[in-house]
Amino acid sequence: MPTVVTIDPVTRLEGHLRVDVTVDLVDGKPQVVEARVSGTSFRGFETMLVGRDPSEAPHLTQRICGVCSVPHGVAAAMALENAAQVSIPENARILRNLVMGANFIQSHILHFYHLSLLDYVGGPGMPPWEPQWNVDRRFGSEASARLVEHYKAALKAVRQANEMAAVFAGRQPHSPAFIPGGFTNVPTADQIAEFRKYCGIITDFVRSVYVPDVDLVASQYPDYDELGRGYGNLLVFGGFALDTAGKGLLFAAGRVGAGTDEIQPVNLEALAEQVACSWYDNGSSACHPSAGATQAVYPKDGAYSWIKAPRYEGQPCETGPLARMTIGGHYRQGISVHDRHRARAAETLKLAEILPMWLAQVEPDGAVYTPYTVPTDAEAAGLTEAPRGALGHWLRIRQGKIAHYQVVTPTCWNGSPRDDQQKPGPMEKALVGTPVADARQPVEVLRVIHSFDPCLACAVHVCRPARPGRVVIF
Amino acid sequence: MQISRRAFLKCCALASASLGLGPKELVDLESALADPQAPSVLWLQGSGCSGCTISFLNYISPSEPVDAADVLIRSANLIYHPTLSAGAGESVVADIKKAENFILCVEGGVPTALAGHACVPWSEGGREVSFQEAVQVLSAKAKQVLCVGTCAAFGGISAMGANPMGVKSVPEATGRNAVNVSGCPPHPNWIVETLAQLLQGKTLSLDGRGRPVSIYGGRRTCDQCPFHGRGEARTYGVSGQCMEALGCQGEVVSSPCPTTQWNNRVSWCMAAGSPCLGCIDPTFPGATSLLRRRGGPGGRGRGRGRD
Repeated sequence: MPTVVTIDPVTRLEGHLRVDVTVDLVDGKPQVVEARVSGTSFRGFETMLVGRDPSEAPHLTQRICGVCSVPHGVAAAMALENAAQVSIPENARILRNLVMGANFIQSHILHFYHLSLLDYVGGPGMPPWEPQWNVDRRFGSEASARLVEHYKAALKAVRQANEMAAVFAGRQPHSPAFIPGGFTNVPTADQIAEFRKYCGIITDFVRSVYVPDVDLVASQYPDYDELGRGYGNLLVFGGFALDTAGKGLLFAAGRVGAGTDEIQPVNLEALAEQVACSWYDNGSSACHPSAGATQAVYPKDGAYSWIKAPRYEGQPCETGPLARMTIGGHYRQGISVHDRHRARAAETLKLAEILPMWLAQVEPDGAVYTPYTVPTDAEAAGLTEAPRGALGHWLRIRQGKIAHYQVVTPTCWNGSPRDDQQKPGPMEKALVGTPVADARQPVEVLRVIHSFDPCLACAVHVCRPARPGRVVIF
Repeated sequence: MQISRRAFLKCCALASASLGLGPKELVDLESALADPQAPSVLWLQGSGCSGCTISFLNYISPSEPVDAADVLIRSANLIYHPTLSAGAGESVVADIKKAENFILCVEGGVPTALAGHACVPWSEGGREVSFQEAVQVLSAKAKQVLCVGTCAAFGGISAMGANPMGVKSVPEATGRNAVNVSGCPPHPNWIVETLAQLLQGKTLSLDGRGRPVSIYGGRRTCDQCPFHGRGEARTYGVSGQCMEALGCQGEVVSSPCPTTQWNNRVSWCMAAGSPCLGCIDPTFPGATSLLRRRGGPGGRGRGRGRD
């Protein structure tokens, strides 16, 4: 007899998420046979930008997400720079990378220890770690105590990574330093020395604590090397420019289809977002962008999420560290719950180790800003990678003001609902087959969900992706 | 647990002292330590970005508790926090519902369009509860309401422009006065210090916008700024100069940023060559522009905000 199990709220993520799973017996064992993932909040962020000064978009769009504010600032600045056809100084490119690298590191550490680990280990026996689902705990008391100590140490590491970013960026979260044309802060020798000091501290934590802990958890829960696979479609927009022309990227753009190893280029024309199961007007659900406005519609038959369903050539895609590391050739072990954690940790170490090299390229007191003029009429996109995956900002300027703005975030891809063909989103697909031992405490479902590091604060205000210049907003 | 709470409040006393509180306040803090009935804390997130939570986690102090881990583990009884709570689903909702004697911390604005359906933080027995309803019910029960950040306090970014989801501040949405710790995000020490005072049941001295005078009642940011009067920057990428011409809001806000600085004092906005965005102000982020909002839309013809 199938049972629907609802988790609302799903905690330990950013924003508001609800999950409904149908649990039934398969080969005599209860497991998830169907899942629905709902973004339960809507902000309408893009509409709110209309009529504003395009040069301020990096400040405003950073407020989409307090965890990954930096990539939003970068994408927004890139969009206007592309529109104004201005190149930023080499120093600004490097400083952006350094700050964004620190931002990735804090996000990834926060994700493993504070958002995921308590699915495997009991936290301190007090609120907010009580109540908890105390099931399927496989660590002895000594290992558990050590991991809880690392949970606390990781809070410190997250804070220090934020401090590292703030050395150049002024503050975290929501740095004012990301501006079209470059960066506000002229780096000093003292700042460079301070950043280098933090690099050492953070790299030490990542190498000697974070990476081993991810392996430790995986070793006790080998079943999750098989669970949570999903479609196997991976998508990367590319990020961390290695030259001011944006030709070289630390994380290459690319796409891998299910069942193949072949890396294909990303064609932005192939993006479309569908809304059959989202609370938006069906008239706007299309593969082709239109000039019409998309309207929130609630209630709506068949809809269950504020997230739309972005598809690449009609296919749901997973985006994030596993996609980046796989497509970059840095990780080739598979796709599962633990693969997501391991790839995220490997990416963190890769960034921690490369930051000192980039730091050595910073020119003290060198130029950080190129003056530019906001174009009267222009259309452009800014694409990069955020900690959780591919991020795009699409901008249209009319009469020097923002006429349309559109943000497509990683969790739109990963956390999307069913599309117009009723094809489930990547997280929904990944949940199918997950065993559920106790329907009142379905910790197994949380493990799969958390492996994607969903960020609903980002996902729930997003509208239709379109090709650059053909922007539709609600 | 009580000893831990003592350590927490002691630290906050020191933090308060550094912000100008005198010996009497310290004695009050000490006496509050003996009270086993100190309230617990519920933290809710509405229409926002979780940035205030991340800022809170950046808390650091030279004395115990030294950081956020210390605050969380050895101090206040934080019954619920959506980003930190270990539990999920009905079990955490049950704890929220049975909470009494608590301080309600709210992060983010309150969407009121679509009968509140634009933000549903949880379900109760199969019924979806809107954030609007949750905040209204819980603020009526709370000993105090603490708005963490400009969105909860004034609407902020979440209510800007066309505001299609009808986002309101918590005081607007509930009709109840709150203590506002504004900022986008607020400095972690502003959050912890204010929370500590509320946990003691202290009556805070508030300004006309519900903000603690001890934090927001100082001199204009401009008057504290080390770059004031040191040449005028006409373009970005210049360090150590006054940024009034770029639209700096330091003239219209009173924030202790120049003295407290940010992120363990490694820097702050103006030290990074940026004008003050005025993120603590009720007018943030401005009707059409962050940096040209002085004296109303368009400012006073100054601060073009770009070249």
